[in-house]
Amino acid sequence: MTMHTSSTAGTLSSSRKFEFRRHPYLLAVGVFILLSIVNAILQPSFLRPAVAVSNLASFMPLILVAVGQTYVILASDIDLSVGFIISVVNVVVVTTIEALGGSGGAILAGFAAGIATGILAGLVNGLCVAVLRFQPIVTTFATGIIFAGVALWILPQAGGQVPAIVWRTYAGAVAGVPVVLWLLAAVLVFIAVFARTRFHTALVAVGGNMQAAYQTKLPVTRIRITSYVISGLFAALAALALVGETASGDPLLGGAFSLSSITAVVLGGTALAGGRGGALGSLFGAIILGLIANVIFFAQLPFEYQNLAQGLVILLALAGGVFVARR
Amino acid sequence: MPSEPITAANGTIPRSLPVLRASRIAKRYGGVTALAEGELELAPGEVHVLIGANGSGKSTLCKIIAGATGPDSGVVELDGAPRHFKAPRDAAAVGISVCYQELSLIPQLSVAQNIFLGREKVVARTFVNSRKLNDDAARLMERFQGVAGENFFPNTLVSDLSADQQQLVEILKTAAEDGRIVIFDEPTSSLDNRQVELFFGLVREMKSAGKAIVFISHRMRELFEIGDRMTVMRNGRTVGTFDAADATEGQIIGMMIGNDIVSSAQSPQEKSPQARSAKTVLQADNLTGRTLNGVSLDLAEGEILGLGGLHGQGQSALLRSLFGADPAADGIIKIDGKVVKVSGPRAAMALGLAYVSGDRGRDGTLSHRPVFENLALARLNKSHATYIDVAAVSDQVLPVAERLKLKYAGLGSPISQLSGGNQQKVVLGRWLAAEPRILLLDDPTKGIDLQTKKDLYALLAELCLGGMSILFYSSDDTELLSVSDRVLVFADGQVVDELAGERLTEFELNQAAFASSASAEATA
Amino acid sequence: MTLDTAISGRSNAVKKWAPAVGVVRKPLFIAGVAMMGILVAGEIVAPGFAAPEQIIKMLVVAALLGIVAAGQNLVILGGKEGIDLSVGATITLGALIAGNVMQGQDSMIAIALIATLAVTFGVGLLNGIGVTVLRIPPLVMTLGMLGVLHGSLILLTRGRPSGNSAEMLSNLVDDPLIFGLPGILIVWIGLGILVTLLLRRTLFGMRIYAIGTNETAARLSGVPVGITRTLLFGLSGMFAGLAGFFILGFTGNVFLGVGDQYMLPSIIAVVFGGTSLAGGRGGYVGTMAGAVVLTLLQSLLTTLHIDPSGRQIIFGATLLLLMLFYGRQQRLRS
Ligand SMILES: Nc1ncnc2c1ncn2[C@@H]1O[C@H](COP(=O)(O)OP(=O)(O)O)[C@@H](O)[C@H]1O
Ligand SMILES: [Mg+2]
Repeated sequence: MTMHTSSTAGTLSSSRKFEFRRHPYLLAVGVFILLSIVNAILQPSFLRPAVAVSNLASFMPLILVAVGQTYVILASDIDLSVGFIISVVNVVVVTTIEALGGSGGAILAGFAAGIATGILAGLVNGLCVAVLRFQPIVTTFATGIIFAGVALWILPQAGGQVPAIVWRTYAGAVAGVPVVLWLLAAVLVFIAVFARTRFHTALVAVGGNMQAAYQTKLPVTRIRITSYVISGLFAALAALALVGETASGDPLLGGAFSLSSITAVVLGGTALAGGRGGALGSLFGAIILGLIANVIFFAQLPFEYQNLAQGLVILLALAGGVFVARR
Repeated sequence: MPSEPITAANGTIPRSLPVLRASRIAKRYGGVTALAEGELELAPGEVHVLIGANGSGKSTLCKIIAGATGPDSGVVELDGAPRHFKAPRDAAAVGISVCYQELSLIPQLSVAQNIFLGREKVVARTFVNSRKLNDDAARLMERFQGVAGENFFPNTLVSDLSADQQQLVEILKTAAEDGRIVIFDEPTSSLDNRQVELFFGLVREMKSAGKAIVFISHRMRELFEIGDRMTVMRNGRTVGTFDAADATEGQIIGMMIGNDIVSSAQSPQEKSPQARSAKTVLQADNLTGRTLNGVSLDLAEGEILGLGGLHGQGQSALLRSLFGADPAADGIIKIDGKVVKVSGPRAAMALGLAYVSGDRGRDGTLSHRPVFENLALARLNKSHATYIDVAAVSDQVLPVAERLKLKYAGLGSPISQLSGGNQQKVVLGRWLAAEPRILLLDDPTKGIDLQTKKDLYALLAELCLGGMSILFYSSDDTELLSVSDRVLVFADGQVVDELAGERLTEFELNQAAFASSASAEATA
Repeated sequence: MTLDTAISGRSNAVKKWAPAVGVVRKPLFIAGVAMMGILVAGEIVAPGFAAPEQIIKMLVVAALLGIVAAGQNLVILGGKEGIDLSVGATITLGALIAGNVMQGQDSMIAIALIATLAVTFGVGLLNGIGVTVLRIPPLVMTLGMLGVLHGSLILLTRGRPSGNSAEMLSNLVDDPLIFGLPGILIVWIGLGILVTLLLRRTLFGMRIYAIGTNETAARLSGVPVGITRTLLFGLSGMFAGLAGFFILGFTGNVFLGVGDQYMLPSIIAVVFGGTSLAGGRGGYVGTMAGAVVLTLLQSLLTTLHIDPSGRQIIFGATLLLLMLFYGRQQRLRS
């Protein structure tokens, strides 16, 4: 929203009224603050930098994949394959690094191979959905099966080991600031910058009214493909974060991320129908999901109640989010 | 009334070489022929008026010219060379822009974002300076300064704009594209007089810049005010092109409707007054809602009560509130003198009401479902049947199909394979099969062919003789006056006049409608 | 109107009735070709693949999937992005209830069945209420419900397998009953007839297609849209519960996650059966064929001695290939 006095534009300036609808992530921010307070009460060490950083490190993969998923959903599509993209990238990275001997160059090559894999996977999804006009849910389910198969083929059993430098770096600090904080900052900057691109507007337009976007001469097909590629890229980054977290390869690691990334996106105030929302909300949505698990763990509920409590809280949050977003 | 129609031979020579010529364009949608033989020729620096009844194929012709849809046959030539546009991008690249009738705006984006969508000025080929975008939009929006109403800012979301404001944005968006061929498809239908005048100012500027402009509207006054040449369409065909200076209103109407319809419709004098009894069936008292400002009326048994006035003055809203589709906030509805509460369509049906919308795609047809289901749905819903005996129900709905002179392959074929007029007959038939006492008709002849209309008029008269009472809204004044026993004239959600007997004339109707809208504007 | 035209119209109507389901027909044809292809290919690589007893075994597995897919089918037909992601967990819940109520006793089978169906119908209704009353998109609502059910299952089972199938139930699933067909297949065929009748010959069925095709028109024609859609979700839960009941008979006891593997295949079976994810088009016969094709394909890949990774890749690729024929999105250039 522009907050300036218009000099050149005569008397037609902009409305400055604050509108909740334009900031759909605010609900997620509110819930985030609330959960943080509850968490801090239940777990006094929560605010200690070391604990906060380690929490963030474990939330980071979901944050990344949810951010990528957001752009697909904004364009009114959906990507159920992200979890399996994570799996396949994870094993590609680990096996490449191992095969090349684990040197610094091998690590870089492994990361590059992983990112290329993620982009390629996204491209496959995008081509199927936007060019061949396949139905997104079924398509990305099918490609997800393929990606999972490829992951299994590359690395049939969990294992492999990345050089210590990888996970030490992920858990370490650069210039006195923890690496995950750098990562978070980078994601935030990306979200902010990307939201100001022409492409982002086009994405919202395609998701808001695909027919009108087409009639307005937007390259709808290309835009949809690109959104899947971005999602694949972010899934790959999430896989890299996971490699930093777990330090090994596991072909079954990613599966659960598909649905939880969608949950995070919806919690963040993005409409599944497309056209409304943003990645900042998804970032908070992902953190919320992590905090809910934390809070329930530290609430010292009996173990067997924890999953149910978590499920109920998430359902409540989803319902509440949808309800508020409609206001 | 209409004298000798002007034929295509008269005055078709453009002032200069045509920039665009569309010839023998045909287009079918399933069983509906949208265009049979569309022709259009545009000269630079002219405002070319395209006129024809709803559904005559104007929008389809424009969409084909703009590459938004492909023709089944026919050619579009630009500067004498045939072009095959595969997408709107192709047409835009050669300078064709369209202001779409159904608008091409993204509700979730702001006014400024919509105006410049896809053409934003960018920094480093990527980033949009939203402040500059808003400033640029504000400069364009200044044109409608003062007439656009409240909350019309560059950063207002389009979903928050009123219908006329959205139309203004679509106009600005089209103008900002700066094409050399600009098509305006019914841009003025939701605008008021002052907005139309400013829009015409814009059109004149474009014209003097040498652009070729197509302007579609149903308002005669506007057509003669701005048009240089006119092309008339009827039932998917171009029936003539001529200079505006050579034409009269009567001739144009004659060409649009093909002469016979007016005379063949039952004239009010022929109606037997005995058909209607004095018994009041339906009474509405002070219905008030979002677009209704206290409407009262009573409807006698066997009567056709017309609702007239300018488009969108509350006629539809009244019918929909009576049927419970959009219940009114306030007011009393009585049936047979008893106060009833119409909470929704099911309640209305139980009271013997039926509602036929002219927007059959949205409110009526279950496309690709069999004609059988489309005909039987309301009747069965009313009967609370569990099991459907197809043979027995067929026996019940077939007489309705007969009565409507429905042309269809069989009860099992999908309704989407029928022509538009026959689809509308099915929707009406759905309600006749439900055996209502009161029929609410919401512009039911919108976009249907002449023969179907004639059949419908005869049917309505017959239904009334059988004791049915009908509330009839039509956007077609001639039809409204010839079919109705009385006409209530609407303006601003109120009944401003009642026409009956001698006063059932187009003159009186227009006077009532316009007088009140003028006074409303003066007070606003 | 003459009597003649009325009669000819009538016979016309009856004659033309069959093509109304022509939408289903094309997918059925493709499914048939796919089935034959898979059986022939299987018989070539592994003689005995297409032997009758082998086919029956595969059909039993298909029946379990097909029963879940019936509910999924109804929800999807109802339109408005209808989909039920909670069926997997509901299956497990159904199996759990059934197993714990019957505890291996034949005498408790009927009570177990009723309890299972009642609870899972209730779960489905909750989904339906979330979708219609709270207006939560089905994908989101059932995704949330999935989490809740998952938590409930952990609470109920504490992570250990529990409950036991009664012998009679296991026999119904495994042993030949009539014409050499196991009882479950008879049940499935019966269900197929029932669901098809429901869709084609009842007002409820007509309402399902109506709301799936054009909700506004349906509402204006007196269809109680909310109630109808809520019931669809209820039925989806119930069919998942019924599948869980039989899966209990199939596996003998219940372990956590026994139903998970059915969730996405149930959607695929529906899509390959020619039902459009946009709603309003399709039917259950196609879905049954879709379930059979999916199961045959999986069996073939298992028989081929391809390792699991290759199996998955081929399975996914085949799904993509089949997508060429089904429910593609509309062109923007209408
Ligand atoms: N996308 C479509 N699908 C089916 N029928 C259509 C479609 N677009 C237009 N039609 C039909 O084609 C005919 C002509 O429509 P249109 O070109 O919009 O007429 P006009 O603009 O003159 O009112 C109408 O009968 C309409 O119902
Ligand atoms: Mg039009």
